[in-house]
Amino acid sequence: MNLIATAESVGQAEALLDAGVDTLYVGGHPFGLRLPRPLGIEEIKEIIHLAHGRGKKVTVACNALMHNKEIEQLGAYLSRLAELQADAITVGDPGAILTLEELKLPLPYIYDGETLVTSAEQIAFWLKHHAVGAVAARELTLIELKEMQSRLEKPIEVLVYGPTCIHQSGRPLLSNYYRYEGMSERSDKDRGLFLRDPKNPESQYPIFEDEDGTHIFSTEDLSLMAQLQDLKENRLIWWKLDGVLLRGEPFVRIAALFAEAKQAVESGTFEPAGYCNRLKDLQPANRPLGTGFYLKDPKEIH
Amino acid sequence: MRTRVKKPEVLAPAGNLEKLKMAIRYGADAVYIGGQAYGLRSRAGNFSYDDMKEGVAFAHHRAAKVYVAANIVTHEGDAAGADDFFKTLQVIGVDAVIISDPAMIMICAAAAPGLPIHLSTQASATNYKALEFWKKIGLERVVLAREVGIEEIREMRRHTDIEIEAFIHGAMCIAYSGRCTLSNHMVNRDANRGGCAQSCRWKYDLFDMEGGKAKSLIPEGGEAFSMSAVDLSMLRHLPDMIDAGVNSLKIEGRMKSIHYVSTVSNVYRKAVDTYCADPEHYTFDPAWEDEIWKVAQRDLSTGFYYGVPTEKEQLFGKPRKIPKYTFAAQVMSYDPETKMATLQQRNNFGTGEEVEFYGPGFVHFKQTVHDLFDENGEPIDRAPNPMMTCRMTVDQPVEPHFLMRKK
Repeated sequence: MNLIATAESVGQAEALLDAGVDTLYVGGHPFGLRLPRPLGIEEIKEIIHLAHGRGKKVTVACNALMHNKEIEQLGAYLSRLAELQADAITVGDPGAILTLEELKLPLPYIYDGETLVTSAEQIAFWLKHHAVGAVAARELTLIELKEMQSRLEKPIEVLVYGPTCIHQSGRPLLSNYYRYEGMSERSDKDRGLFLRDPKNPESQYPIFEDEDGTHIFSTEDLSLMAQLQDLKENRLIWWKLDGVLLRGEPFVRIAALFAEAKQAVESGTFEPAGYCNRLKDLQPANRPLGTGFYLKDPKEIH
Repeated sequence: MRTRVKKPEVLAPAGNLEKLKMAIRYGADAVYIGGQAYGLRSRAGNFSYDDMKEGVAFAHHRAAKVYVAANIVTHEGDAAGADDFFKTLQVIGVDAVIISDPAMIMICAAAAPGLPIHLSTQASATNYKALEFWKKIGLERVVLAREVGIEEIREMRRHTDIEIEAFIHGAMCIAYSGRCTLSNHMVNRDANRGGCAQSCRWKYDLFDMEGGKAKSLIPEGGEAFSMSAVDLSMLRHLPDMIDAGVNSLKIEGRMKSIHYVSTVSNVYRKAVDTYCADPEHYTFDPAWEDEIWKVAQRDLSTGFYYGVPTEKEQLFGKPRKIPKYTFAAQVMSYDPETKMATLQQRNNFGTGEEVEFYGPGFVHFKQTVHDLFDENGEPIDRAPNPMMTCRMTVDQPVEPHFLMRKK
């Protein structure tokens, strides 16, 4: 089993390792997308060193949509990551896959095409092109995920905790709006902005802007705490915790809880209700927890 | 070196057989259509196999091509039957299929070897290495993501010879191609399987949570937050697109009318021909732009081709007044002796009204409706019934498939 968590700093990386996370997920601009904080290569180096010292792993995000300029810089970055012995990278751009092949780097990649990873046959295509696994789209149901995993030898990564990005635009949508209205507001992630669809007063979609454009997230933080046993029994054993919108210590505490839950699942003593209640206590008050698409019937979505 | 340009294809959308024929009559070198499954316009009029056969025969007779979009992003089970679908398209003689999902690409390649595959814009191709990757897989053409700039296309062309198709006109998806699931999350409609509810065009409140309470940032009397983009038009910049090495100039809009499809195809046909015939002496004709505005529904911009779109390329506030033209009638036949045209009515019009006729080859003229007769030859004041046949005297010769519009 593999519990994967994003890390925003060397300090948090260390805390997450102490908490029992198996793989740290880090990355930098412009190759990694929607990270809690983009890290420089020196920080990544330090994190790899820390993780390897404890027999743990590091995956580096290289999952951005790259333009010519970035694809030209990517080779050097990948070579550096290989030197640093990063355990894997995530990739969604076929240009990055070709770069990897051409440089013959000993750097395994996990296919992460975001919303485009929705069937076993698709993943099989990327496995044939030497991917070692794939990150599932968050718009899949558990029924579909189980079916997919049953058809594949290599693992599918499932988000078990965190927000899910539901829209990326290449446009600076917030800045454009501010300029139109003559406002001077911040549009970065820490500003804490939300959108609400007036037809659904409960909705609150986090939104922020960075160098990659505008990102909008789901109203809920996904949690599959209650389904962990079921996931394991269906060979869905790569679990990702995403801290893109949750900083510092609170995220580490949640990661620690999932690590504990993972151990309980492994030892056959997992009892979901208690864990779910503890997660609720740790969850920020303004972010509801939910199961997104996971518990829907695939036929509900058309 | 602007003297030797390779003439690109004008590629028009066709939601049904009638639109397909119009697009080709009005100058499209190729059209793209949807089948009854696997496309992203589940709500558009799509083609049955029989319609496809007729469309392909019509197109090939006029040296035009037909591409079929099969660009859904498949979930488990969605690809069932796709092998028969691709085999049938190949037998029908379709010229290429447009696909984004690698599972569908593999199915197509296995079931219909030799049927050319174009990568859909949904697959977000934004760099030349990605283009090279798809070329190695065996694809003939890539439809670029809408986020690339002209300079980037030039550079792609320097690094790869795979065919490049790029959007030149029409509505623009606000998301990085394929990176939008607003519809999924808001109304259980999967945009990547043809269910897009255009949630990006809805009106939103923008707020923060200072002190645990929601506080709106929308200014008093201000516009709600929305993500709508103005439409794309590269008409004024066609030489840039052509010189950059784009092989296919793609017009968006399988849902649009024959009025739209014929007008836009006509304009781009004319502009491309004019430029390619003599690039050095090319001048832009403002009449082309006037024509485009007759079917525009939103303001127009150049998208990402010359930089990241600003607030001017978003739809905020009151829409600009766009001259509204109505498609009034289609010419069925013309008698040069009597100078009478037989028309099929498409929207209410009558005597005394100013109308405009246009036809393939960018032919235009305006006139007043002097007289009007029903199909029995009885004089009438108006042609009020949809699809009714009527006759009128025209000031200049017309031909079947000329269209008549009015303000």
